[in-house]
Amino acid sequence: MDIPILSLLIVVPLIGAIATLFMGGEKQKYAKVVAGVFSAITLVLALLVLFADDMGALAESYAWIQTSAIAISFTLAVDGLSVLMVFLTALLVLLVVILSAEEEDRPNYFHALLLAMEVGLMGVYMAADYFLFYVMWEVTLIPMYFMISWYGGPRRHYAAIKFFIYTHVASLVMLIGIFAMAFEAAQITGTGVVDFAFSVINPAIAGASEMFQVLVFALLFFGFAVKMPVVPFHTWLPDAHTEAPTGGSVLLAGVMLKMGSYGIIRICLEALPLGAEYWQWVVIAIALLSIVYGAYGCIAQTDLKKMVAFSSISHMGMVMLGIGCLSEAGVTFAIFQMFAHGLITAILFMVCGMTGHKVGTREIPLLGGLAGRMPMYALFMMIGFMASLGLPGLVGFWGEFPVIFAFYEFVIANDALWLILFCLLSLMLTAGYYLWAMQRTLFGPETTKIDLTHAHDVSKTEGIALAVLVVLVAFFGVWPDAALSFIEPYVSALANMGVVI
Amino acid sequence: MDMTAIFGDYTAIAPMLILIVGALILPGIQLLSKNRTATWAVALVLVIASIAVNAMLIAEEFTGKAFDLYTYDAYTGLMVLIFQVVLFLGVLVSNASIETTRLHVGAYYALLLGATTGMMFVAGSMDLVSIFIGVELTSISSYALVSLKRKDSRAAEAAVKYVIIGGMSTALTIYGISMLYGLTGTTVINDIAAQTQLTGMNWMFAIALVSMIAGYGFKIAAVPFHMWAPDVYEGASTPVSMFLATGSKKMGLGVFFQIFLIMFVSGTACSAIAGPEVQYLFAIIAAFTMTVGNVVAIAQNNIKRMLAYSSIAQAGYILIVMAVMSEYALAGGLFHMFTHVFMKGGAFLIVGALICAGIGEKISDYRGLAKRAPFLAFAMMLFLFSLAGIPPLAGFTSKFFLFSSAIGSLDGVTSQWVWLAFIAILNSAISLYYYARVVKAMYVEKGTSTEKVSIPAPFMVAIVICVVAVIVLGVYPQIVFDLCEAAAAAMFA
Repeated sequence: MDIPILSLLIVVPLIGAIATLFMGGEKQKYAKVVAGVFSAITLVLALLVLFADDMGALAESYAWIQTSAIAISFTLAVDGLSVLMVFLTALLVLLVVILSAEEEDRPNYFHALLLAMEVGLMGVYMAADYFLFYVMWEVTLIPMYFMISWYGGPRRHYAAIKFFIYTHVASLVMLIGIFAMAFEAAQITGTGVVDFAFSVINPAIAGASEMFQVLVFALLFFGFAVKMPVVPFHTWLPDAHTEAPTGGSVLLAGVMLKMGSYGIIRICLEALPLGAEYWQWVVIAIALLSIVYGAYGCIAQTDLKKMVAFSSISHMGMVMLGIGCLSEAGVTFAIFQMFAHGLITAILFMVCGMTGHKVGTREIPLLGGLAGRMPMYALFMMIGFMASLGLPGLVGFWGEFPVIFAFYEFVIANDALWLILFCLLSLMLTAGYYLWAMQRTLFGPETTKIDLTHAHDVSKTEGIALAVLVVLVAFFGVWPDAALSFIEPYVSALANMGVVI
Repeated sequence: MDMTAIFGDYTAIAPMLILIVGALILPGIQLLSKNRTATWAVALVLVIASIAVNAMLIAEEFTGKAFDLYTYDAYTGLMVLIFQVVLFLGVLVSNASIETTRLHVGAYYALLLGATTGMMFVAGSMDLVSIFIGVELTSISSYALVSLKRKDSRAAEAAVKYVIIGGMSTALTIYGISMLYGLTGTTVINDIAAQTQLTGMNWMFAIALVSMIAGYGFKIAAVPFHMWAPDVYEGASTPVSMFLATGSKKMGLGVFFQIFLIMFVSGTACSAIAGPEVQYLFAIIAAFTMTVGNVVAIAQNNIKRMLAYSSIAQAGYILIVMAVMSEYALAGGLFHMFTHVFMKGGAFLIVGALICAGIGEKISDYRGLAKRAPFLAFAMMLFLFSLAGIPPLAGFTSKFFLFSSAIGSLDGVTSQWVWLAFIAILNSAISLYYYARVVKAMYVEKGTSTEKVSIPAPFMVAIVICVVAVIVLGVYPQIVFDLCEAAAAAMFA
């Protein structure tokens, strides 16, 4: 019997979300157990997909809306690009549930929101129909809005509404691009039906005129770039992260930002290769700007969490730089960097969240010498920072350096070697802000500016969540092939289509 | 069940006849029984009977004429269904709402049924004079409905405004119609279309068109003819506001479809005479209507006024159909009209229900509502997000069809109306801001009271119907969209 495993990846968290939503009153304290069970089942399903013999055979398609002019289907599929994201989503949601075991403020709603977000994220990464893709894309918004505005910090209302409207506007612009592609594809294929399936639109549009691709690329790229986010569309991110609760931040940075880069590869590259070629230098300019500005912004931050938020901008810029090279190596390691950053940033946001929770403030100038009192906390923070700045042997190294190498090849080929300086600058800045932050927070004499008597080290549940991530960070750092073996077939298929060289 | 066997020559107007009978007997029932619940029950039964008959007609794909005056086809069936649903929701809650139970209930139900009869009459008319009569029947009943709450000074002001502006729009319309009659010697829309195709465009024709667009523009509250709507919706009792915002406005939009689409598209006169200019005129009206509606809605503190401005904006979205003038656009527009009944109707119903529970009309009165009435707050959030076009709710699906029609068709992307789609989408984003304000008040802000809210059962039933519809139409729009497509095809046939 065939189990519709991809549909289950959406249905299981959905049931979980509904179940936890109605666990009011006395039953509230069991919400975390229910959420844990459902997210664990989801992770098992995701692992089944990851280790499936033939991922392509898992694809599912059901007719959804069929009219005389329009065909919309509920189509799900996974490939080398999406499977790592599906795994990452399932993993991080489970870890956030474990991490948030001590959440006492309406835990039923908190877990319902988490699982609802998982529904949307899974849907985005598996959708193979533009209508479904867009629906799922928007489904992630509302839970995150409530996550921030219910469980967030002091300026949460402002941050939540800013996040909501900013990214909603971007996705509406993207929607216009999707409409244009669908209609153009209908005309190219001449079947007399506007079919929204990826498998119909992407090949058809790849053959559309350059002018069309250039315009539509701009619309879609804007939608995705805001989500990633890259400079100058990044201003919503630091606010959202600073105010979001730890669990929300982990998911936001870990998997939600990747929706943007995923969309760029899945749609902008697959369907609009001529557009990508046309805008290549703009993409690279934006990427370099993000890398440097993000890193530069980090130095100025006094809030530990805001610093990590800015570092996300810098690291997502690295993803975009890899994509912008339009070379096999560039795209391969851009995808790897998406995965790597997801793992690392989850550690970072967990650690930063703990800082606020355990010490009472995340302001770096107020902290100092925490390593003595909280050794485990210090260890995790060091591992996270080291992984993020690209220490060899940890996963971050394989995300950043091959991308820079791919970019090096690109600038050599285009006689613009000086551009590599931006990358070097950002590497120095990154190492600088992490080490500086670490030194000010963990080492030196213990701070006297705040009361540390109630500070306590990492709890058992938090330790489990962090340890799992650290193991994976080290595992993929030592053996990146484990992830690359998924990515490479996908990218060589892109190369066969002539999308990348 | 074969409807023609029962109603014979009257089949096409059967749903309407039931309501006419109702409008005539209900005041008498109230007078004799002196029991407003009995009157309400009779009204409700008649409305349900009328819906059942119409559903049968739609199911058996009935097409037919009554007295060469009224045509029933897929389009009429759908429009009639929309009006009936609005009427049903309105009547259902009227006996429970403290705003309407103190009125002369016999007259109140008679007027509601009469106004709906007018709308249904318009939906089947293909003649300028019968359309005019239907619109007037609805308008005059509506004036009375608004003024029934006569002891309230806001209602009195609203009614006076409504009557004066309505009268002016009627005058404009009849002026346009008389000019068209003078030019062509007929009031049948198809004949006018054929005539003007022969004679071509001239300035008389242009004046006639403009005065008709202005006249009916008042009815749908298109900018710049929109000023009356917020005052009237605010002043009227909430079930009546709901009825006007979701029902009579759609009649006006139907008039636009019936007169102008037929005249320019079915008559194939579009390219020959005034096509492109009129399309641009409509596009500009649509753009201004949605933008003004949404922008002004941001500044509102009274939720009924906010919903009124949002209705203006929604009418602007639907006017995209008049700019694009394609069959697909019309199907999308009709679908949006259908979903709008439930999302806007639902929102008004919640406002009405909360008024019964002693909660005011200010957005600030909604603070902390999520704790006091979890289901109502959740339903309100669904309706507002649906209006803003957030998937997977009905408003998203219908906007998806409607807006996409401005971008292209099966023949590829038509760049002509892409700017309009951009404006529409930008407006959706703006609208999210003021809808989210209400959601924020309900869910995030703290209220002064934590007392649980209980609302009358009929309101609960009506709201649950709307919630189910908003979700089902969003996730599985197939059945209703098929109806809309059939309706659009009938119009373009």
